[in-house]
Amino acid sequence: MPSRKRSKADDKVRTVLTSCTCDCGGRCTLKVHVKGGMIVRVENADAASEVLHLRGCARGFAYRQRVYGSDRLKYPMRRVGARGEGKFERISWDEALDTVAGELKRVKATYGPAAIFYITVGAGSNSMLHGPAATERLLNLFGGCTKNWAVISCEGPIFAAQATYGGFITANTPDDYINSRLIILWGWNPVEALRSNAPFLKRAKDAGARIVCVDPRYHLSAAFLANQWIPIRPSTDAAMLIAMAYVIIKEGLQDQAFIDAYTVGFDRYKDYVLGKEDGIAKTPAWAEAITGVPAATIADLARDYARMKPAALVAGWGPGRTAYGEQYHRASAVLAAITGNVGIHGGYPGIVASLGYTPAQPLLPIPGTSYPCVFPLGDNPAEHPAPLTPFNSWFYSTSGIHICKLADAILRGKAGGYHTDLKMAYITNANPVNQYTDSNKMARALRELEFVVVHELFMTPTAKFADILLPVNTALERNDISTSWLLTPPLYTYVNKAIDPIYESKTDIEICEELADRLGITNYNDKTEDEWLREAAKSVEAIKDYDDLKRKGVLEVELSEYVPFKEQIEDPKNNPFPTTSGKIEIYSQTLADLNNPQLPPIPKYFEGWEKPLIEKYPLRLMSAHAHTHVKSQFHNIPWLRELEPQRLWINPIDARARGISDGGLAKVFNDQGQMLIPARVTERIMPGVTFLPDGAWFAPDENGVDRGGCANVFTTDKPSPGGAFACNSSLVQVEKA
Amino acid sequence: MQTGFYFDQTRCTGCFTCVVACKDWHDVPAGPASWMRVTTIEKGKYPDVFVAFLATPCYHCLEPACVDVCPVNAITKRAKDGIVVVDREACLGRDKCQLCLEACPYDAPQFGAEENAKMQKCDLCLDRWAEHKKPICVDGCPMRALDAGSIKELRAKYGDSREAEGFVYSEKFTPSIVFKPKKDTKGLAVQRIEVAPGCRIVS
Repeated sequence: MPSRKRSKADDKVRTVLTSCTCDCGGRCTLKVHVKGGMIVRVENADAASEVLHLRGCARGFAYRQRVYGSDRLKYPMRRVGARGEGKFERISWDEALDTVAGELKRVKATYGPAAIFYITVGAGSNSMLHGPAATERLLNLFGGCTKNWAVISCEGPIFAAQATYGGFITANTPDDYINSRLIILWGWNPVEALRSNAPFLKRAKDAGARIVCVDPRYHLSAAFLANQWIPIRPSTDAAMLIAMAYVIIKEGLQDQAFIDAYTVGFDRYKDYVLGKEDGIAKTPAWAEAITGVPAATIADLARDYARMKPAALVAGWGPGRTAYGEQYHRASAVLAAITGNVGIHGGYPGIVASLGYTPAQPLLPIPGTSYPCVFPLGDNPAEHPAPLTPFNSWFYSTSGIHICKLADAILRGKAGGYHTDLKMAYITNANPVNQYTDSNKMARALRELEFVVVHELFMTPTAKFADILLPVNTALERNDISTSWLLTPPLYTYVNKAIDPIYESKTDIEICEELADRLGITNYNDKTEDEWLREAAKSVEAIKDYDDLKRKGVLEVELSEYVPFKEQIEDPKNNPFPTTSGKIEIYSQTLADLNNPQLPPIPKYFEGWEKPLIEKYPLRLMSAHAHTHVKSQFHNIPWLRELEPQRLWINPIDARARGISDGGLAKVFNDQGQMLIPARVTERIMPGVTFLPDGAWFAPDENGVDRGGCANVFTTDKPSPGGAFACNSSLVQVEKA
Repeated sequence: MQTGFYFDQTRCTGCFTCVVACKDWHDVPAGPASWMRVTTIEKGKYPDVFVAFLATPCYHCLEPACVDVCPVNAITKRAKDGIVVVDREACLGRDKCQLCLEACPYDAPQFGAEENAKMQKCDLCLDRWAEHKKPICVDGCPMRALDAGSIKELRAKYGDSREAEGFVYSEKFTPSIVFKPKKDTKGLAVQRIEVAPGCRIVS
């Protein structure tokens, strides 16, 4: 039950060691100052510590405004305006829960459980107890629901990593950068997207590593680290990687001994690269025309990469969130393999770890949550298997609707070839209107449903579509255990509750517990928060002492320059790669057997399907994470918002041609939507390319023109054949407003 | 003793943690006042570009311009540690005066959004020094790009560079700051300067 009573109201400041649980993966530790039951300040947990990656960022320091924001949802509400309008009235918890339970029963009885659409991602709270699992368990016990499959961030790298290496833990740990002579940050901006990597990269640079950034933008990582910036057109990265392979093969720079010992299919790839297969030699000049990168630059980087071993090709996820994005990831993995940079210190398998943890953190995310979780989901009686290839995210949700197709499935249902008609959306720990494809289509779809219930902290663009809106609480109002994720330094934090839940907010579990009572479910939850967390701690080998973790707030798992596939390289006889052939699959027989020309057995470059629209919409639009918010979380925090207001990055050449001045208002549009947004006219972006930081809140005006700067106004809902969200293949036109 | 700052421009990623940590510690709301600002300096033409960041608190000058111009002696330089502090009760307020802001080359005097806002500025976290803690911007910086302390000791530890990208040293006022500058070796032309918070485009 939420508690309004204050723990002894005293004026003394006490400090609580805790951490963020937001979706950036850093898991930085915080020391929260509490006075009279209120958070008054935030400090680093241990400023004296020499550990570089534990220091929180601007978002952590702004947490007080997140907890006490004037826009925090205070009590359950019922919609009184139209869906999306954001007009609500206060109701009691009893009325709200009775309504939700009644609708769940009605929809299930009328249409069957598959008509209930549970829309979530693991992003709401990256922690082991609180978060999306609560509602998923409730709906499973109630008779099941329809879910979504595919990881919106990284289905491309997951596909390519499993196709090439047979597994998706494909990142040397950050402390291993120190062993690299050359580090290529390809479409990867860790200074903003995975901040705790920055100190390790800086250390490697200071030790003499050359750092090259390949990206359409001169982003903060380039500003901080790059010896060289190579701008490249979005959606064309595979072509440059394949041309680098051309140079390496043509000049005999490949590591033939490595290729012979550890890979299969090099000759097939060679035939494609040299043009024997299709008559097109994939020369640097060929790639220059596609990518906009000068041929000489491509050739030089290829030579450096092949010669400056060990070299880390750290190819991030953004370029893979494109049409045929999985080909980019396949091409980067294969380039790492043919240069022998896999399984060695200072090397890198060419794909940023997809989802998963180093062996120090053996927990895998569980289906549907994307996060290691102790709260049991149970089975979904309404499960409908997704059409996965053998290389999709089998460890994530394997059922239901592709994450790009949620709106389409709602709008078209069985008539559109989907397995079910959807009548009700239950949305928690997610902001689908903002963060999934095609915001306007999602908004249209949510208007079509018979009932929408949302758990939220704030009046987000998605919350505005709720019929019943239920207030949840922040990580600082409950206890939890959290862990850093993929390719950040491994650690566990105890997310100590700093204050009692404020207003009438509840945890997801508390809400679902009360719904379970109303739905006649008697076995929803048999443990207290503390009992669950003790169980969570027991499931992690590294956590030897629960109480010690709770007291200290953080447990660091020692970094040990973990190198994936080291055993396969050092002792291949006893350690085959977990692929069908036991080797690195440059050529994948499994892919060949799919007989899908769009998913070929070797990496290939395909022109993006957006290309015909380029006459009409001549500017490419990409989006990537910003350091002042985490996806759409924290975007509403005043201290953060004033740092870098949302703007459209545009090169002076494109701005001048349109009469747009720095700071001036621009109109951006394509077939999906329209936006009015100030321009940031900067030399730091490639001509022909525009950029919007992701996560700004969709705010359509009365004409449906977005004033908030939400990048998904312009994305389409066509996923890549390997399952990736193709947001960075978007095209737009920009005019002076 | 003179207290001052050290800023390693080569370690700054422009993450703004110092800005927000300062606002939280000193309870400064979002709005025009910010005791710490971060300037983004963009130089060069595509694709040959260079970017540096400059964190700007109050440099607690040896000869502070603000102290001299204040008509009501609301600003004083402490003899003990050289920290420049403001008596907000005595300050005439933004609508009546602003002489300190006009005099300071570093925009250290700050004014909130309220009517006739009184001057406020970085006090080097006096309250934290009392607890033997460094200022919150220093302890908060994720990249450890900042330090603070006796300027003599900072110079002994970090050298005595007075140069940084985007910074002009005032011989007259003698700011208490030591830099490790990020160097633009090509001498590229400045294209764009922006100050956060508030995204004030300077050029």
